[in-house]
Amino acid sequence: MSQMLSPDMTIAAEAATKAKIEVKNLNFYYGQSKALKDITLSLPERSVTAFIGPSGCGKSTLLRVFNRIYELYPRQTAEGQVLLDGQNVLDRSQDLNLLRTKIGMVFQKPTPFPMSIYENIAFGVRLYEKISKAEMDGRVEQALKRAALWTEVKDKLNASGLSLSGGQQQRLCIARTVAVKPEVILLDEPASALDPLSTAKIEELIDELQADYTIVIVTHNMQQAARVSKQTAFMYLGELVEFDRTEKIFTSPREKRTQDYITGRFG
Amino acid sequence: MSTAASLHQSRKRKNGVMMALCVIAACIGLAWLALILGALLYKGLAGVSLSVFTEMTPPPGDAGGLLNAIYGSIVMTIIGIIVGTPIGVLAGTYMAEYGRFSKLTTVVRFINDILLSAPSIIIGLFVYELMVRPMGHFSAIAGAVALAILVIPVVVRTTEDMLNLVPNALREAGTAIGAPRWVVIRSVAYRAALSGIVTGILLAIARISGETAPLLFTALNNQFWSSNLNAPMASLPVTIFQFALSPYEEWQQLAWTGALIITLTVLALSIFARSLTGRREDK
Repeated sequence: MSQMLSPDMTIAAEAATKAKIEVKNLNFYYGQSKALKDITLSLPERSVTAFIGPSGCGKSTLLRVFNRIYELYPRQTAEGQVLLDGQNVLDRSQDLNLLRTKIGMVFQKPTPFPMSIYENIAFGVRLYEKISKAEMDGRVEQALKRAALWTEVKDKLNASGLSLSGGQQQRLCIARTVAVKPEVILLDEPASALDPLSTAKIEELIDELQADYTIVIVTHNMQQAARVSKQTAFMYLGELVEFDRTEKIFTSPREKRTQDYITGRFG
Repeated sequence: MSTAASLHQSRKRKNGVMMALCVIAACIGLAWLALILGALLYKGLAGVSLSVFTEMTPPPGDAGGLLNAIYGSIVMTIIGIIVGTPIGVLAGTYMAEYGRFSKLTTVVRFINDILLSAPSIIIGLFVYELMVRPMGHFSAIAGAVALAILVIPVVVRTTEDMLNLVPNALREAGTAIGAPRWVVIRSVAYRAALSGIVTGILLAIARISGETAPLLFTALNNQFWSSNLNAPMASLPVTIFQFALSPYEEWQQLAWTGALIITLTVLALSIFARSLTGRREDK
């Protein structure tokens, strides 16, 4: 089974784009138990890639390797290579904080910081840039516009981020991530805690953001994967079963297990 | 049908009996508190006057106030809090943030729990050996150190507990944006846990402001005004202890009034602490 994009991919225009992230022979362990088995795949630049699969298949784990957030916890180890523009992020010498400014992440549950809406966004910017108040105002506005939240919050930037609705909080988190100008955005089931309307807004947003960012989204919702992504990876029990154009995965998958999953026979 | 009905009846009866027992137990518990507060108010209020706050503790048979004792209590409590709080908060931070998965944390938590429930007289004896004997005399600073040692376990415990309540998702979010660990702790975790940590400090103040035993061995007492930290200093609890045991009526009255002042202060602090936690839960 090939882990690379199928040759049909060349028909699509985006096939010409280079790989932003290349994963090579990645294994991941929680203590002794192996959660990812020899994963190899490459994610094209400025495009949305979806990871789908049943619970416990390793899709979130794979996402959490990209920015090495798993290192917050003991006894979690990754082996192999994850190349970001050809540089292995799993290298010991990799500066983790700098890596995370390049690879932003949005989580399943909205996680606004316990501060004002303005500060939620300025916080990340201030970590690595010294800019004037006026410039910061501009950055905050720009980020909030980018996340389609500006019109809703522009009159209450000093209100607590926690005062917003769930959907707004999630867009605030996206704004916060975009504000530090990352190259890659990881979305870990970003809409699973939201109502359908907020979900639609987030999906619209993802569609717009892919013009500038490489986006990876983990989702439980197959329709969502079909709607927003260009490539889809189907994972099962820690293995990458199939990785191809989204269209292909959902219409004529090569593997029987993929077929079974997308038709709802299990999972 | 009939068995179901009788089962229902017997459950209702058992429920009634249990509820009555619980209500009685709650009333017995509350009754003591009400009696203590009532007696304090009744006996203490009679002695409240301006002179209590402006005059020194009198010699037997004379009128006077509690100024030197109140001042001593405030000074030693403040020093105790200033010394004990940073140590407690930093230790709690280590346990909840840096050393969450380390063995050391388990050991420290265990020892801290022992310290938390250690009789305060032992702390007093410890500081007596540590400071009073080498220095050759009782002193306010030794009293403050004893109080600080009592503050530490309370603050360690609440700081750790409150930081543990901060969801990991929030730490992950801070980390994912590129913030170094100490920035995540300072700007995200502390902020989310602030009201809880402050509550812990307030409760520590409440606890030490009524402590007598550790002060008996360290700051002792002083009949006169003294702001010298290197000399014995009066405090409300010790003064109450001394005056309440005396045969002189004026002293006994002052003891009642002093007890009322401490109780109301602790009550006010507790209510304030409650309102802080309450506000957090509302969010």
